[in-house]
Amino acid sequence: MKITARSSLKKVAAVVSHALSGAGIRAVLTGGACATIYSGGAYQSEDLDLILQSSPTQKELDRVMAGIGFVRRQDSYHHPDTRFFVEFPRGPLSIGSDLSVKPAEMPIGGVSVLLLSPTDSCRDRLAAYYHWKDRQSLKAAVAVATRHHIDLDRTRSWSAREGATQGFDEFIEEVRKARARRRR
Amino acid sequence: MAVSSPFGSQTRTRLLIAFELLGQSYARELARLLDAPLSVVQKGLASLERDGLIAGRLLGRTRLFEINPRYFAAKELRGLLDRLAAADKDLKRRAAELRRRPRRTGKRL
Repeated sequence: MKITARSSLKKVAAVVSHALSGAGIRAVLTGGACATIYSGGAYQSEDLDLILQSSPTQKELDRVMAGIGFVRRQDSYHHPDTRFFVEFPRGPLSIGSDLSVKPAEMPIGGVSVLLLSPTDSCRDRLAAYYHWKDRQSLKAAVAVATRHHIDLDRTRSWSAREGATQGFDEFIEEVRKARARRRR
Repeated sequence: MAVSSPFGSQTRTRLLIAFELLGQSYARELARLLDAPLSVVQKGLASLERDGLIAGRLLGRTRLFEINPRYFAAKELRGLLDRLAAADKDLKRRAAELRRRPRRTGKRL
């Protein structure tokens, strides 16, 4: 697989994941990129945030990323043929204070990509809504929840721990409205 | 009295304590508060942001920072900073001297 100007975020994620795993580097796709994948494009992100679960040196990471055409500028990697860029935020893999995040695996073009599950992607966007009142993130969480099965009990109890019971109720109401719109 | 620097440097530690005391703040205000060069404060903010300890967003042309509420150990971090703030009396005094309450538009200073 080669990255071109027409490559989707999903394809770029697959190329990057393949290169990293080939070099023995385990990384999990998080953040808005997962919401883009699970919302079927209803939410659009241009950055791919990957949390490293192994400890490559900066030099190793630069070398692997350069092998697929990405060049590092400060903390992010850019490719001349795509608008999508890659970052490796510091871990651990968590959703708010919850560290029990188990990555999902999605086959994309013959490559197994490690990423947040739909429930965790939804919680990840909700965290941004709860803490920063970012309604774009609420919309993304709703878009994921209307297209995938979400563990609502887990999301409800996590929301309560984040002090956002009211925010969760609003999310549920928005999901209900969105599902009704989709049925029409 | 200099407080200990559990976050790698005096600047990083004091910046975090400042956020615990002030909530949100921006580079120039922090430079004034810590009596440190703006470039040193900007560098400290960038490294804390990279570590995920603080988060910033643009408000007009000003980049406002705060303790990252999505940091996995935000609650525990705040607890430690609260203790460190209690020990850094100089910083507490300086923070208390900052005027941060609203001022009606056009009102004379």
